[in-house]
Amino acid sequence: MDFISSEEKVDLIDSFNGIEVYRVAVEKFKTNSINIFFLDNLSKENATKNALIPAVLRRGTGKHKSFREIALYLEELYGASFDCAVSKKGEYQIMQYYIDHVSDRYTGTDTNLFDDCFNLLLEIITEPLLENGTFRKDYLDQEKDNLKKIIEARMNDKVQYAVERCFEEMCKGEPFEIYENGSIEDLNKIQEADLFNHYKYILESLPMKVFISGDTDDNKIQSAITKLKKLKRSNIKDLSQPVISKPKRDINYVTEKLDVSQGKLSIGFRTNTAPDEKDYYSLVVFNSILGGGIHSKLFQNVREKESLAYYAFSRLEKFKGLMMISCGIEINQKDKAKDLILKQVEDIRQGNISDYEYDSSIKSIKTGLESLKDSQLAIVDFYLSQKISNTRDTLKSLYEKFEAVTRDEIVEVAKKVELDTIYFLTSENQ
Amino acid sequence: MEIKKINYSKVNEELYIYEHESGLKAFVIPKKGYSKKHASFATYYGSINNRFIAPYEDYETSVPDGIAHFLEHKLFEQKDGSVMDKYSMTGASPNAYTSFTHTVYLFSCTDKFDENFDMLLDYVQNPYITEESVEKEKGIIAQEIRMYDDDPNWRAFFNLLGAFYKEHPVRIDIAGTVESISKINKSNLMKCYDTFYHPSNMVILVVGDVDPEKTLKKVAEGIKTTEHKPEIKRIFPKSHKGINKNYVEQNLSVSIPIFQMGFKDELNGEKGFDSLKREIVVKLLLEMIVGRSSSLYNELYEEGLINSSFDSDYTIEEDYAFSMFGGESIDPLKVKSKILNEIKSIKEKGLDKKSFDRIKNSMKGRFIKQLNSVEKISHLFIPAYFKGATMFDYFDVYDKITFEYASEVFLKHFDEENFALSVIKPIKGD
Repeated sequence: MDFISSEEKVDLIDSFNGIEVYRVAVEKFKTNSINIFFLDNLSKENATKNALIPAVLRRGTGKHKSFREIALYLEELYGASFDCAVSKKGEYQIMQYYIDHVSDRYTGTDTNLFDDCFNLLLEIITEPLLENGTFRKDYLDQEKDNLKKIIEARMNDKVQYAVERCFEEMCKGEPFEIYENGSIEDLNKIQEADLFNHYKYILESLPMKVFISGDTDDNKIQSAITKLKKLKRSNIKDLSQPVISKPKRDINYVTEKLDVSQGKLSIGFRTNTAPDEKDYYSLVVFNSILGGGIHSKLFQNVREKESLAYYAFSRLEKFKGLMMISCGIEINQKDKAKDLILKQVEDIRQGNISDYEYDSSIKSIKTGLESLKDSQLAIVDFYLSQKISNTRDTLKSLYEKFEAVTRDEIVEVAKKVELDTIYFLTSENQ
Repeated sequence: MEIKKINYSKVNEELYIYEHESGLKAFVIPKKGYSKKHASFATYYGSINNRFIAPYEDYETSVPDGIAHFLEHKLFEQKDGSVMDKYSMTGASPNAYTSFTHTVYLFSCTDKFDENFDMLLDYVQNPYITEESVEKEKGIIAQEIRMYDDDPNWRAFFNLLGAFYKEHPVRIDIAGTVESISKINKSNLMKCYDTFYHPSNMVILVVGDVDPEKTLKKVAEGIKTTEHKPEIKRIFPKSHKGINKNYVEQNLSVSIPIFQMGFKDELNGEKGFDSLKREIVVKLLLEMIVGRSSSLYNELYEEGLINSSFDSDYTIEEDYAFSMFGGESIDPLKVKSKILNEIKSIKEKGLDKKSFDRIKNSMKGRFIKQLNSVEKISHLFIPAYFKGATMFDYFDVYDKITFEYASEVFLKHFDEENFALSVIKPIKGD
């Protein structure tokens, strides 16, 4: 297998003032992209403010004074796309600012899109539109209202909602229970001056990771670095690692009622395994055998054999050491589905792993890793995740570790996995 | 065997074409340096084809709603087990989907392409359907239908189609209903298979770093049928002027009203290049009227009437076409009146030529970006092929669209008589 492609080589090309700059040099894509991440500990104190900042910044800069002016400018840059997002990985909250543009060789004229796009991205982050030295009041109020609606709208996507709610119930009292977009309660408390000070704090003190990917040449990257070096930064925040293990407790049962026609069953486990432990590699194979695709026990038994569900999967939250099983079922089949799912976990603990299940899982993991190389965002996300989990794996070294996992190791890690919470989203009339 | 090659130097892509004696066409788009190889085998048969006259027959056949999608599920079953299991052994990810007009079987892999491709050619040509397996699938598909029943965006979309069309099958859910799929059996499934899965009604596309000659040779060897079949007569209800209803609403468990609105289009039999041309021009007009750089979008956003979930799209097929735009809003009726007013005012003052040029360039850039992804290429290519064009024609379309043409389509398409609104409202007390 050929792993010596350039996507394999993500270079840390410079590091200063709490900013790390990475370069992914790939020519096969027709676009270049720039990602700037700010990382913070997930905390009740900061979560809502962190979620609100990108929403306010995208409303306008000193030069491009409104969302509309930014949109017009992006169109002039041959359909460049800008976006920002807030997410969580384990107990880190991540603010992402993203821009991509077609490579200059496809514009048909003399363009310098990388410089234009990098400048715009930096301008949005560092030169917000101000009024009397702070964010514009009307923009801020609108974005507070939008964020409130986003938080409320979580229930609209029932598949996702059932997974997130189970995680929350599992991790009550831990930072991980905090929603990446914050809470309405905290949103109502945010004062303008407060938020602006918090913005300055983010810009000056939160760790930043910058990823530049595509066919951008050295000179342009150096000039981008020079601009980043001009940012005033000090007292860079030292982020803490999440707590993985928790004292054992009784199984937590949660039922929530909404007007739904399909029941959603989510079953949460503690894996008691951190991503930088050796057991982690066995855990990934275990999860794949259990519910990581069409070859998995959940798909084969819950869907194919018993026709109980259209979807049934298990997924790892590797940073916090959690595993979530979820499926959509007929409401009156809840107990049958639950028993069948738990039996699959038990089967693996008993060493019940067929050659087919083992081989397919390893192959499916390999295909997944190899496929990352075809997406600039996926490559960036892979390396960001490595940084966050304090691991230094490449796609190649990871695959070798997965391939070396034995059946015994899978059984061991399956025994370490602890059932924590059983959550059921059901209809009002139940 | 004869293989044709076309160079698209402006976008730096190549297309290899082979036509089998059965009438099937096969295409390869090589993507040097890509890990994933993506192959699709598609038939021009989708959820709307529920009435037809099969070749060599002189009577009409009418089949239950959802049967094309059901057949898609059942084709994975083979005499010696499920095709999915075989794909799992090679590490490939198989998949399939059914749209209104076509059904696609596909896989993506990073290894063992030849083996996977042989399997694709084989199982799509060799159905193995038993009464027992049909009954078992009904439970799985019923859960798929229930999942969509709880999905407010999906419901808003189909409710709007129901408002546009009185009888046309595009208004019916692709998977049918729990009731309609109960009438599906081996015999009506095989009838649909025999009618629509003839190679002359199908296409093969491979995107990825493969050897085009070798791949197309496999097609030549793997397609068993050589005879041409007479045409299938597809029967649709007589098209009607105007719409069915101008407003439709449903209550679901959501936090905020979710809406879709738009214009049913009156077509003049656009095919091939002309169909792509109309698609692009209406999308361009939608960007000009309600896109992110439009004054209307920004006004609605600043008044809190829409948020960043707002988006627009246009769909065109031989027998139907419509534009749609929607998202979340506290007051969809107000959004409606503002949009209709804006259209009225643009009709009076005329479209803005500068916006037209800028957005056209920007859309062209965004089209090039899609060529980064083997999946996106496949998703663009197959529908364009069934319309009688190739996806690379899109690039020429941008050069052929004039401001005069856009102005003409604008006046015709955005006709209030053809406007409808669909709203999903929260349940009171939820």
